[in-house]
Amino acid sequence: MTDDLLRAPAEVKYADELNWLESVDDGPKPFSWRLSPKMVRLFILGSERADGLEREIPQKWFGDRSFVERAIVTLASDRGLLLIGDPGTGKSWLAELLSAAICRNSTLVVQGTAGTTEDHIKYSWNVSMVIAKGQSRESMIPSPIMTAMERGVIGRFEELTRSTSDVQDALISILSEKYVSIPELDDDNIVFAQPGFSIIATANSRDRGVNDLSSALKRRFNFVRIPVVTNKKSETEIVRFRTEELLKRHAIELDVPPSLLSILLQSFADLRAAAQSAASDDEKLESALSTAEQIGVLEDAILSSHFFGDRTLTAQRLASSLVGSLARRSPEDLAILNKYWHGVVEPRSKAEGGEWPAFLDGGRDTIATLS
Amino acid sequence: MPAEAPFAALRGQLHDAAGKFGGGEVAAEILTGLVDDVDRALREALEIFPVCHHSPASAVAMARRLRAKQPKVIYLELCEDLQPLLGELANCTLPVALQAYASELDGFPAEWGPLSVIAPITEASAEYQAISYALTTPGVELVCVDHSADHVFQQKPPERSTAEPPERSAAEPSEPASAEPALHGDAVGVQLGDLRPRFAELEAFLLHHGKVRHWSEWWDQYVEQPLVGADHETYRQVMVLIGSLFRRLTPDPGRLAEDEARERYMWTRIRAHHSQSTVDIGDCLYVCGAFHAATRVDQFGVDSTAAYEIGPRTETSWLYGLIPSSHSAIEAQFGLAPGSVSIAAATWSRATSGRGAVRPYRLSSAKSGKTAKASTPRVTTATAPAEPGGDMLSEFLSAPSRPGGLDDDELRGWCVDLVRLARRNGYLASTADAIAVFETSMLLAGIRGRHRPTPYDFSDAAVTCIEKDTVPGRRDVATLCGILLGGDRIGRVGYDALPPLARDVYDRLTPLGLDLTARTQKRALLDLAAQPELRPCSDLLWLLRRLLPDGTVRPIMGERTLGESSVQESWDLALGRNQRSLIELGYDGVTVEQVLEQRLRRAAWDPTATAGTALAAVEDSILFLANRRFTEELGARAVSLLAAERTVAGAPDVLRRIRRLLTYYRGVAPTLPGWVQEFVTAGYAHYCTLLPVATVDEETSVRQVAAMLGFLFSMESLALSLGCDRAQLELAVAQSHPETPATIALLWAARYQLGLLTLADLRSRCDELLGNPLTVPSFPAYLSGFVQALDPAPGLTGFVVEALSGAFARLPDEVLLPWLPTLLTTLRAEAAELMPLLVREAGRTFPGSLRALDTWTPPWAETPPAPIPAVPAVAGPAVELLAERPDSCDAVAALLGSTDPWHGTVSVPPAGLLTEHPATATAVAALLD
Repeated sequence: MTDDLLRAPAEVKYADELNWLESVDDGPKPFSWRLSPKMVRLFILGSERADGLEREIPQKWFGDRSFVERAIVTLASDRGLLLIGDPGTGKSWLAELLSAAICRNSTLVVQGTAGTTEDHIKYSWNVSMVIAKGQSRESMIPSPIMTAMERGVIGRFEELTRSTSDVQDALISILSEKYVSIPELDDDNIVFAQPGFSIIATANSRDRGVNDLSSALKRRFNFVRIPVVTNKKSETEIVRFRTEELLKRHAIELDVPPSLLSILLQSFADLRAAAQSAASDDEKLESALSTAEQIGVLEDAILSSHFFGDRTLTAQRLASSLVGSLARRSPEDLAILNKYWHGVVEPRSKAEGGEWPAFLDGGRDTIATLS
Repeated sequence: MPAEAPFAALRGQLHDAAGKFGGGEVAAEILTGLVDDVDRALREALEIFPVCHHSPASAVAMARRLRAKQPKVIYLELCEDLQPLLGELANCTLPVALQAYASELDGFPAEWGPLSVIAPITEASAEYQAISYALTTPGVELVCVDHSADHVFQQKPPERSTAEPPERSAAEPSEPASAEPALHGDAVGVQLGDLRPRFAELEAFLLHHGKVRHWSEWWDQYVEQPLVGADHETYRQVMVLIGSLFRRLTPDPGRLAEDEARERYMWTRIRAHHSQSTVDIGDCLYVCGAFHAATRVDQFGVDSTAAYEIGPRTETSWLYGLIPSSHSAIEAQFGLAPGSVSIAAATWSRATSGRGAVRPYRLSSAKSGKTAKASTPRVTTATAPAEPGGDMLSEFLSAPSRPGGLDDDELRGWCVDLVRLARRNGYLASTADAIAVFETSMLLAGIRGRHRPTPYDFSDAAVTCIEKDTVPGRRDVATLCGILLGGDRIGRVGYDALPPLARDVYDRLTPLGLDLTARTQKRALLDLAAQPELRPCSDLLWLLRRLLPDGTVRPIMGERTLGESSVQESWDLALGRNQRSLIELGYDGVTVEQVLEQRLRRAAWDPTATAGTALAAVEDSILFLANRRFTEELGARAVSLLAAERTVAGAPDVLRRIRRLLTYYRGVAPTLPGWVQEFVTAGYAHYCTLLPVATVDEETSVRQVAAMLGFLFSMESLALSLGCDRAQLELAVAQSHPETPATIALLWAARYQLGLLTLADLRSRCDELLGNPLTVPSFPAYLSGFVQALDPAPGLTGFVVEALSGAFARLPDEVLLPWLPTLLTTLRAEAAELMPLLVREAGRTFPGSLRALDTWTPPWAETPPAPIPAVPAVAGPAVELLAERPDSCDAVAALLGSTDPWHGTVSVPPAGLLTEHPATATAVAALLD
């Protein structure tokens, strides 16, 4: 089935692994969870030899173990889980993995936007059916959250802080009373949450202040802050993991040389350091320089090498993708990249050699084209 | 070969296991070697008690063992020269650190100084139990056997740049939990029972597989908790086993060699002491780190005969004292996770309170009235003591981990307390959060494979449930958890354990009526007019402010400068919080005055000292010491330093200071002290000599030349009155041929001051410069010189204002604008000297209102009025008076060297004024008649 889909959800993609884990899991499971908390952790963080499992479980999310543990125990408690962090830190991916492991369903998602209404969180009506048959449970369209309540599974709310405060507050009663009443109906007018229901919301810390959460809603969520990955080893792992996935999806046979990967990581590390020391927003790139951005740059370079190049990834192409992806504002971003290229990449290419001179040329050309 | 030993079965098991893992002979050797080490340590006739630093389990086991065994001699792994300090611990609030300090080095490179070794002591440590037992039980001897502080540095030079131990895990937060880690300064830390993997990979491996974040948590979960309540034999065997494991996996032979040197030293000292003692070896106990218990050096054991020569100490004289320490300082010093020492303290207090708990030994202060008494021996082992030497390891290693951690009541109490604390710190926390923290702690413990939540789980749960997107106050939830778990306890050194200097300071500040030992900041208000008896306190506070680091004593109101003192003063005193600095000051002398005198003397006689530093020392001695003889000694030193100087780099500093001192002495004494007179005459000659060279020297700045000239002109009258010759200055100026425009302008000013140039000359020179297109670009440089000339030639102020105005009016923008920043920075840097003159003159020159500006013409643009010809007075009462009494005029003429007598008869008509108003002259004449 995974081959038919452009992007299969985690529970489909890792169905085999989840089935196997369920079959060997003898730990206590809260509510209607399909796996015990320890197995959920193992599914997400991968197995060790010391775990004594017959099958190796690969690591799927890279980050501090305690974040995952705290997220899992929150879902086993009475509160919802709010993953908060910079864009591209893997919040949604962690939410998807958690939902897939706990209830094998990660698709009950509400996407928070400025246009999200209370109907998207609770329920709405199939108008033609209401006209034909009147208001009934049949003509009601439950929201993903309500469906999650009915089934006792995890509902997800992406970008919670993008939706307006009054819409957010519809979650308060769902998280406290654990039911939704439907006043339009005379009977069967309350939907109770089944055991196992919980909500994983994600929020972008850069959106702080747009639609702040009310104190009442904050109280009902446990916050787990996911930091930007700055550990080089973890970052390499993440980029490699995601790139392999991408190459597999596009059936591309292309080798990513480790030296290029290290150039990519090094340049992001440099640009992050520069952004940290910048005094104003104009002096730093608009991009959050997250790991996801790195993957995006590499993906761009791989695809363009594959389709327009000679099917080998070169340093020029990587540099060109990097500049192309990061230069969003002209002239601010281009000026910063130009400064970086001449102030850091140029001396480094002289000092270290290797792929750096080609990287320098590629970036310089692209900056010249875009300027 | 100890094959028939009780560990034979375990050894076989481990050998098989090594085979199964496929590690080959090396793994087998390591694994069975561990058992051999345990076996060897346990067979030793002298009972070895292995410990780990800041480990409550070690402390509990130690307390139990001491009560059971009642040893008569305790050998302790602690610097032997720190032993005399141990008695003073009774006067302190723990944690404190024993310190050995040396600032005057002999035998070590001078750049290492000052050397400092500290050994922190906490209550939750085995060594404190041993020390307390030994000091409170009559007839017990305590012998410290480790390297002395001197030997510590002989073996290992201080590493100031790497405060963090290299094996520190990357997962640990790097920032200190509180602002107190500086409590130990940059001392080298020594601790009893340093037990930690010796290479990063092993530690990372243990942390990863132990599913914990940092070493302290691993140790707590896998060693501390299982060992709490274990019997003595199990404890010993397990500790030696761990020590042996880390020892055998030490990759750095250099570091191992250091440890072995210490072990040889300790065993040699033990054997030496035992050979002279009558105490049976069975009544002795050797307390050392578990790492050293598993040693394989030849000198191991009291029966060993292997010789080891202990090297002599260097000639460095060491000073000893106690300084306050804190949990966070210990954590920072030894690379422990923030909060781990506090958690250890909390575990210890739990283990020692309640029914059936172990009774610890404590040192009680002699002052508190309690007698230091030995507790009656009573065996309170948690489990039945095992037969010594039996294999307790097999059972321990194969048994499932025992439930440890918090019980429900305790956890509940913490949850409630934390929510209250969080509310006080601005969090919107409620009872629901307390419930959530409780539940989450339990769940976290479950997922981490623990029977009961540990403080680490509690802390994680609290962060999960209470911390939201922002921290409302100053403290986040993790910090609040730290506070709840006992917080960062900071020790205090009691009065009796303080060095004489610190005691003297406290005594002399007693009239202030403040508790200066408290850690809070105290405000002292001194009304010196109403309470003159507080004057000595004020003097001492100013002295302390000079000697102690910023923030220890801070004046809020009042100042003390040369010739000025305040009538009222107000001070913020934080002596209690900065006890370490006061104590370290005590290593330098017996009173603060003596310390300052020493420091001033050292500064003035330093090989790099300049006249400026010596004058600074003179100022300090006047301000703080009131010791005239010493001040004169320093002054004489300043004179000799000035005469020996070959550059004028310090001229601005010298000028500023000597001016200040002259003003002071003129105000307080009828005559100037001899050294000041000497300084002025020596300076006059010195700067005259250096002037021609300095004006052409590229490295000498305009400011320095200006300061030289300032000295020469402003001290001129004094110097001439003391016998200097003005010709010397005139010659020096004539010999100076500067090349840079700024210095040329400066020299023109000097020549004007000497009367060799007139204002008109200066004006015409400037006009020439401005008129010539080739010299216009360099005009700003000339102006810079004139600006600097304000100090040596204040009479030129009007001209400087004129030149500046001319420059602004006539210089083209491309010349003027780039120079403006230079002008501004010069004026800003020299604001105190130059600005008042310039502003006053500009205020006089320019019109005060806008309206007046329209009709204003600059004074230098006005055509000068025609000079009124001087009409000599030839008649009238004055002339008559002088003609009648020529004696005075003749006397003055003779004095000036004129031999020609004055002839008062001149027939010129009388001047108008005297003719019209003759009354005054007539009255004077009448008076004289």
